[in-house]
Amino acid sequence: MTPYKKTISEYSDIALKLEVLAKEKESTRRKLAVTAKQLAVTAREKESTRRKLVVTAKQLAVTAREKESTRRKLVITARQLAVTAKEKESTRRKLAIAAREKESTRRKLVVTAEELKRLHETLEKKVLERTKDLEQIRAKNEAILASIGDGLVVVDEEGKISYINRSFEEMLGWKAQEVIGKSMVAVVPREDQNGIEVSFKERILTQVLSGQKFVANLTNSFYYIRKDKSRFPTNSIVAPVVLGTKIVGAVEVFRDITKEKEIDKAKTEFVSLASHQLRTPLSTVSWYSEMLLAGDAGKVTATQKKYLEEIYAGNQRMVDLVNTLLDVSRIELGTFIVESKPTNIVKLVQTIIEEHRQLIDKNKIKFLSSFAENIPTIQADPKLLGMVVQNLLSNALKYTTENGKVELAVSRVDKNILLKVSDNGYGIPKNQQDKIFTKLFRADNVVGKDTVGTGLGLYIAKSIVEQAHGKIWFESEENKGTIFFVSLPIKHVNSVLG
Amino acid sequence: MNKLSKKRTILVVEDERPLVQAIETKLDKSGFTVVTARTVDQAMGYLEDIPSIEAIWLDHYLPGEKTGLDFVATLKNPKSKQRNLPLFIVSNTASKDNVSSYLKLGVTRYCVKAEYRLDQIVKDVISSLEHPKE
Repeated sequence: MTPYKKTISEYSDIALKLEVLAKEKESTRRKLAVTAKQLAVTAREKESTRRKLVVTAKQLAVTAREKESTRRKLVITARQLAVTAKEKESTRRKLAIAAREKESTRRKLVVTAEELKRLHETLEKKVLERTKDLEQIRAKNEAILASIGDGLVVVDEEGKISYINRSFEEMLGWKAQEVIGKSMVAVVPREDQNGIEVSFKERILTQVLSGQKFVANLTNSFYYIRKDKSRFPTNSIVAPVVLGTKIVGAVEVFRDITKEKEIDKAKTEFVSLASHQLRTPLSTVSWYSEMLLAGDAGKVTATQKKYLEEIYAGNQRMVDLVNTLLDVSRIELGTFIVESKPTNIVKLVQTIIEEHRQLIDKNKIKFLSSFAENIPTIQADPKLLGMVVQNLLSNALKYTTENGKVELAVSRVDKNILLKVSDNGYGIPKNQQDKIFTKLFRADNVVGKDTVGTGLGLYIAKSIVEQAHGKIWFESEENKGTIFFVSLPIKHVNSVLG
Repeated sequence: MNKLSKKRTILVVEDERPLVQAIETKLDKSGFTVVTARTVDQAMGYLEDIPSIEAIWLDHYLPGEKTGLDFVATLKNPKSKQRNLPLFIVSNTASKDNVSSYLKLGVTRYCVKAEYRLDQIVKDVISSLEHPKE
């Protein structure tokens, strides 16, 4: 047989075998498909289970942490409870001790109460005795206050009267029961020389309640108005009433100075009259020596001329002194002649400097003057202002050694004119500076050096400046020099000296 | 200018003898004819009798009841013939009120004796007579 020739049966066998194989293959394929499907399902379920396991694992981790935290908290709470228990025990013990002490104290108190009762009785007795003593002292003090010869009044912070003495009643005509609790100003008005009311509350009480004393003496006295409207001149001191550290009111002591006023006026009038009368013989000496010097009675020799000049100069000094005394009496009698006119202060000061030129040259003084450009012309009395400048300049020149230095400056400071006169002379001793404006006062360190001074110049200057509502003050050191300042308000110079 | 250009008559009313003498001498040396009186009444009498008086030198306080002020008030009366005579008040004692009264009445000049040199006052009198407008 050839390979290419097979029998039909052989082919049929092969076909049958192939058919069986195909069927087996198909069956296997189907089984495989089923298995694949089952495998897919199993894989999905597995994935889901894995995911659930991951979530559960996370939840378990959280729970574990919470559990740990709770456990810690529980540990702390347990400790705290232990501490509280200890404290409770301690408190219980303390309470026990306190209870025992209480009992002890109660027992002691019973004893003390009895003692106190005894002491109280003794004390009451003593208080009664002391009160009686105090009452006596009070009555005595009251009698002393009431009997003081000067008028006495006590006011509270509002100026309401809380006490007056008998002299007050006698001097002013008011009874205590009429005025207690009333305002002092309303009951007793006070006025100055010219009948202008002096404000008590604003000017005096406020000052006193701030802790300062207010003193009205002969030179700045005022008048009190009585119940019957008549008035009398008064000196008074108002002082704060200090209780502990607090000022609770003011106490005023005053006296009637009618007599002193009369005497003072008589004295001033005497000075005025005497000074006027002195002028006549002074004029005689002056005019006759002038005529002799002029050769009206024939030619005089050189020596005669020298002597006559001494007489004339000495007489002139006396004339100046008398004029100064007259100025003082005019100040004190309030009869200053005020002739006000538009005044150029710079020109006025320059004229006065020229009048002193001879003295400046004679003493070889280095003299400097300066004038600001904005000094206005003011309405004032040039004679009075001139007296102020003259006094300050001549003092500076008089009380500075040869070859010394004197400066005069006029400037404008705000609404004031400021005059400054400085020197490097003898100065004013520290312990006498407070007296330098006092009438007739002369400092120790110049009395021996200069015999011409009267102690009136600065007194006059201060009076004039203060009448013009200005201020005068100084700075000085012994053997270093002095600076005097005068400040004049431009508008007041106008109204007061005008 | 210490001398008059021509002889003029002046009435001096002053009671203090030494002062009158000094004033009289000085005025005489300056070319004046001087008439002196001690009281206001005496002065009034001279004024009537001597019409040549051209100026008056007057003190304030004088003996008798009348002062220099009464004299000036009479002279300055509008009906007075002498109302234009120059008047020099030379006094030591007049009060501030009196001084202002004199000036209001229109006196030529007021001066304080002790403060003026005699030759200065005489010079002023001469000057106001020679140059009446000054």
